[in-house]
Amino acid sequence: MRRFWYLVCLKLLTVAPASLIGGETKVSMVLWNRYTAEVSGGEINESAFSLERGYFRVEPMFNDKIKGRFNIDLFSDDAALDGAGLKLKYAYLDFSEVLPIPESKISVGLIKHYFGTVYDWEYISIEKALEDKEGVASSTDYGFALYGYIPNGYGEYAISVLNGEGYKKIGDDLDKEPEIAANLRVILIPGITIGGSVLYENDGNDRFAYAGVGHFSKGPFELWCEYLVSDMSDVTSNGFMVMPIIKLKGMTGIDVDLRGRFDMWDGNADVDDDGYMTITAGINWNIVRNEKGAPTVFLQLEGERTIYQDNALSDIDKLMAQIQWKFSNVF
Amino acid sequence: MKKFKMFLLLFVLMSAVFTGSNSLYAASKSITITGSTTVLPIAQMAAEAFMDIHEDISVSVRGGGSGVGIAALIDGRADIADASRPIKTKEIMLAREKGVDPYANVVARDGLAIVVHPDVPVDSISIEDLKKIFTGEIENWKDLGGPDKAIVTISRDYSSGTFEVFKELVLEGAKVSDGALMLASNKAVATTVSITPYSIGYIGLGYLSDEVKALKVDGVVASEETVRKGEYKLARPLFMYTNGEPSGIIKTFMDFVFSPQGQGIAMEVGFVPVK
Repeated sequence: MRRFWYLVCLKLLTVAPASLIGGETKVSMVLWNRYTAEVSGGEINESAFSLERGYFRVEPMFNDKIKGRFNIDLFSDDAALDGAGLKLKYAYLDFSEVLPIPESKISVGLIKHYFGTVYDWEYISIEKALEDKEGVASSTDYGFALYGYIPNGYGEYAISVLNGEGYKKIGDDLDKEPEIAANLRVILIPGITIGGSVLYENDGNDRFAYAGVGHFSKGPFELWCEYLVSDMSDVTSNGFMVMPIIKLKGMTGIDVDLRGRFDMWDGNADVDDDGYMTITAGINWNIVRNEKGAPTVFLQLEGERTIYQDNALSDIDKLMAQIQWKFSNVF
Repeated sequence: MKKFKMFLLLFVLMSAVFTGSNSLYAASKSITITGSTTVLPIAQMAAEAFMDIHEDISVSVRGGGSGVGIAALIDGRADIADASRPIKTKEIMLAREKGVDPYANVVARDGLAIVVHPDVPVDSISIEDLKKIFTGEIENWKDLGGPDKAIVTISRDYSSGTFEVFKELVLEGAKVSDGALMLASNKAVATTVSITPYSIGYIGLGYLSDEVKALKVDGVVASEETVRKGEYKLARPLFMYTNGEPSGIIKTFMDFVFSPQGQGIAMEVGFVPVK
């Protein structure tokens, strides 16, 4: 095993000097301006405008085999100096064809966390992916991953070794053992994607998490499903998410998507009344799309109600309006 | 158990909606073609000739580049994606995720002609020297036996399939020099080379004209014959990608493109027929 990683490192070192040739660099920004109103038990908890996210992203392509992504997140934060916070979100290099596996790459640095839906969550709903929301898996983490496509577009796979605590934690907040994660998505029939992920970590106690993912797409209809289990010490948590989407443009000419979402989460399977469910309904209005059809200015409206099993807790109603805008250039 | 029933109900409802509405989304008597500007002349002329025969079917054709065409096919905004490069594995996966099964129809073959301003007194060039010019290592015609004049390098933009093929066949992944002009279509490159002294660029065979001078590459002239015989090294297939094997009016159109009349159009606009 040690010899294997020695050979991988040697290959990386031999490929790296080619980066001196230089290539194009894509610079982009993604900004989310949001209004949030939250009501619980007849009281208004929140009514505020904010910049929820401000990604500044630089993606250099050194040559055909080495690409990078550096991404910082600038956002409104009342706990930070002058009301704005800064997060490091991505900082990785992708090395293609290091191993003799077609269409594979090795990502090294602060990389995507290939688990469940979190690594390609496109925020069709304003809310985060279920594993991100419940703290089961962060969207990025420090480490490395072997990622690749199954030939002929039949899916993708990833095996990762990570800190395991997510991109927000470093230094004393880390345990000494790495997390090992594996992810597989398969598309045997166009329009039907099924997949699963597993992660294992030991921070004194074993921690396992599993995710089963399904994505169905036909014409203007899409459906995302995810079943998630987190098994930590003696506590097992589980839940699921279902998100249907209907694209109206083909039927009405208006570039609007209708969407719903249903989340259910049980924090401890052995304890009664600690779960919740969230019902979400919303629309996405794609105001401007780029030449490849990706929305670059779009408005999201979303209403959600969270209902707790514990009768002592009041339901929470949340209304969010968000305008998301992106721009980029290649140099 | 309640959770399971709710989940099942949602799933059944969605499935019902999926199956019931498919016909609503799909039915139309028009074909939309988007993509490569290299394939554009074939698509445009074929569409016009096709509509003369099939008056009840309307065919709209747009350029934009191979990547744009393939993205449109994936999103369901186009029925046919013109491409001057093969589809990438990542694009196939994205397409399959969205229920689209890209099917490659090779409609013609093309050569990438290396063109210079007619006043450039150089007739032939090697692929190695081409790479040096486009990466900025050679900046003056005198290094190639020409006059002591700076070379004006003109390339296609990064998103074009022509650029990707040129990058693969000539640049071997290296970066185009920062001083190169990056233009959005074959026509723009041909026009700019024709009016810019000491310039060099690359275009599809279909865009060759008397306004520009085509160089031999490694001693071989760019022509239908040398591409057909496999002698010209900067050659490539041209594609029209469809969602699955063509059927219905898309098949009627593709059959026309592969007919003697359709392949005659490919030849007329300067490409090499495949049938």
